[in-house]
Amino acid sequence: MCCTHSFEDRISQDKDITPIDLSGIKGMKFFDPHVHMTSRTTDDYQAMADAGVVALIEPAFWLGQPRTGLDSFRDYYSSLIGWERFRSSQFGIKHYCTIGLNSREANNEALAEQVMEMLPLFIYKEGVVGIGEIGFDDQTAAEEKYYRAQLELAKEASLPVQIHTPHRDKKGGTTRSMDIALEHGLDPRMVIVDHNNEETVKEVLDRGFWAAFTIYPFTKMGNERMVEIAKQYGSERIMVNSAADWGISDPLAVPKTAALMKMRGISDEDIRLITYQNAITAFAQSGQINEADFTGDGSTIDQSQRFEGNTVLRGGQQPRIDKNSIIIS
Amino acid sequence: MYTYDINTLKALFKNILAANVTADVLDWLLQKSNFNTQFVLAPRKTGKAALQISEQEAQQLDTILPGVSLNGWTVDMLGRAYLLLELDETDTEEYFRKIENLFLAAEVNELVSLYSSLPLLAHPDMWVKRCAEGIRSNIGNVLEAIMYQNPYPQKNLDQSAWNQLVLKAFFTGKEVGKIQGIDNRANKELAYVISDYVHERRAAGRDINPSLWRLVGPFIDDKLFDDVKWAFESGVYVNQKAAALALSQSNYPTATELLNTAPQLKAAIEQKELTWDTLTAEFQH
Repeated sequence: MCCTHSFEDRISQDKDITPIDLSGIKGMKFFDPHVHMTSRTTDDYQAMADAGVVALIEPAFWLGQPRTGLDSFRDYYSSLIGWERFRSSQFGIKHYCTIGLNSREANNEALAEQVMEMLPLFIYKEGVVGIGEIGFDDQTAAEEKYYRAQLELAKEASLPVQIHTPHRDKKGGTTRSMDIALEHGLDPRMVIVDHNNEETVKEVLDRGFWAAFTIYPFTKMGNERMVEIAKQYGSERIMVNSAADWGISDPLAVPKTAALMKMRGISDEDIRLITYQNAITAFAQSGQINEADFTGDGSTIDQSQRFEGNTVLRGGQQPRIDKNSIIIS
Repeated sequence: MYTYDINTLKALFKNILAANVTADVLDWLLQKSNFNTQFVLAPRKTGKAALQISEQEAQQLDTILPGVSLNGWTVDMLGRAYLLLELDETDTEEYFRKIENLFLAAEVNELVSLYSSLPLLAHPDMWVKRCAEGIRSNIGNVLEAIMYQNPYPQKNLDQSAWNQLVLKAFFTGKEVGKIQGIDNRANKELAYVISDYVHERRAAGRDINPSLWRLVGPFIDDKLFDDVKWAFESGVYVNQKAAALALSQSNYPTATELLNTAPQLKAAIEQKELTWDTLTAEFQH
């Protein structure tokens, strides 16, 4: 879930522009464990595939407009495991999701109750790799109630938890989120604490949780700061994501961060862990990630995605168009 | 009410499953517990390997339910199909509600299983709207589950829904030769819609799928003849061959005359060297 931007944030932008050079990461594979593709175009899918993104996780979130009825939630969850999954597959990107009631909408208690009753219908679906994104926004009593209820659900289903930490009172909110998770008996190795920054990372790692960083302009992490974090903390239990959504955000944040890390001397192995492997290790605890599905090696590939043993994926691939041409045919 | 011998089919499916999963998993599938949960969890138990089925079993299946094939199915799909067959179909409303609920919250593989299982369900007429809804989907593998090796649409859809299926297949680049009943259910209305579609494609300067002429051939009249003639004389060999095949499907005198101007193609068609299948293989590579 993300954020609003103010114009003041954008004023001081006439700095040096570093042109994109992704040549240093050519051939690398990336896993973006937090990106809201529902809010993105097919051009983004193509660009992500071209930049080496082979798989992603789409957490259930706030659509920017509050939902007023249960069916809106059901259709949204269905789209995450249905249409969006197919849309992604057309670009050769394996699409996973986490399912949950986001913190903002937890504040509509009457509706939240109904959503909680419906969640068990979705969390056991194939490719649902966790409960998320859940946690605090305003840190109200209602938010806490449904955060706790969903931690219990995650425990019961043996699924990882993807925690959204709040924008306002971030440090306190992050500590509180972890306190509550431990209080409910969750193993910190099953909990991915998202949207970290320089102020929160130490405590998250010290307490044994996974620390995810969202590379998102103006309001979250910049990737130069991320490079410094990697230099200071290394690669253990650290991952980056784009959280790209309906705001000004960048679906190429993961490959771009990898490229910047490469340019600034971070080792290839650390880059691999931070931009690919750690996310897989954390979310594969759901039992729902088979790496062969997106690395394309071995015979363990999901045969249901193929037709009559053909190497052509079911449903076909999207044709390419030349975006640099003024001609549209 | 099943329109076929359900007990024989269940016995066959049980045998096939027994050869594809461990005894524990088979027990899990056969036990009657929470239906929704079992349906959702099936792949976790059965795995998703390609289904192994003997030649003999395939023949048995074709005897019980002509046109149904498990070719390309995975083990979880058969597990899910078996669970559907275990439902009590005597309370019609309850039966419908249970299955419809699965459709309403289904992920992609579940949708594929469900639509592939349409020909197995009781009360076939009950699923016509659901099938038509599936054809409105834009998810490629869902469309293929309905269109390919599935006898349900040809047996149950009314003409307008059938025509939508065929048109959707062309619009989404599917192999129309894999649609069961593609020739049997060809109709004049569809031939006319296809004629309009061809005119649109020509106006846009886009390629025209040669398989389209397959659905026009049997209904050639003055108007449609001009379209086929255009393809025949287009200078594109694959189009000319498709047009020749279409002409050969017609008793319209001018059509026969035009085909006679290409004796080599005519002979190839008569000797079955040129068929819709050989043509499809040719232009899809």
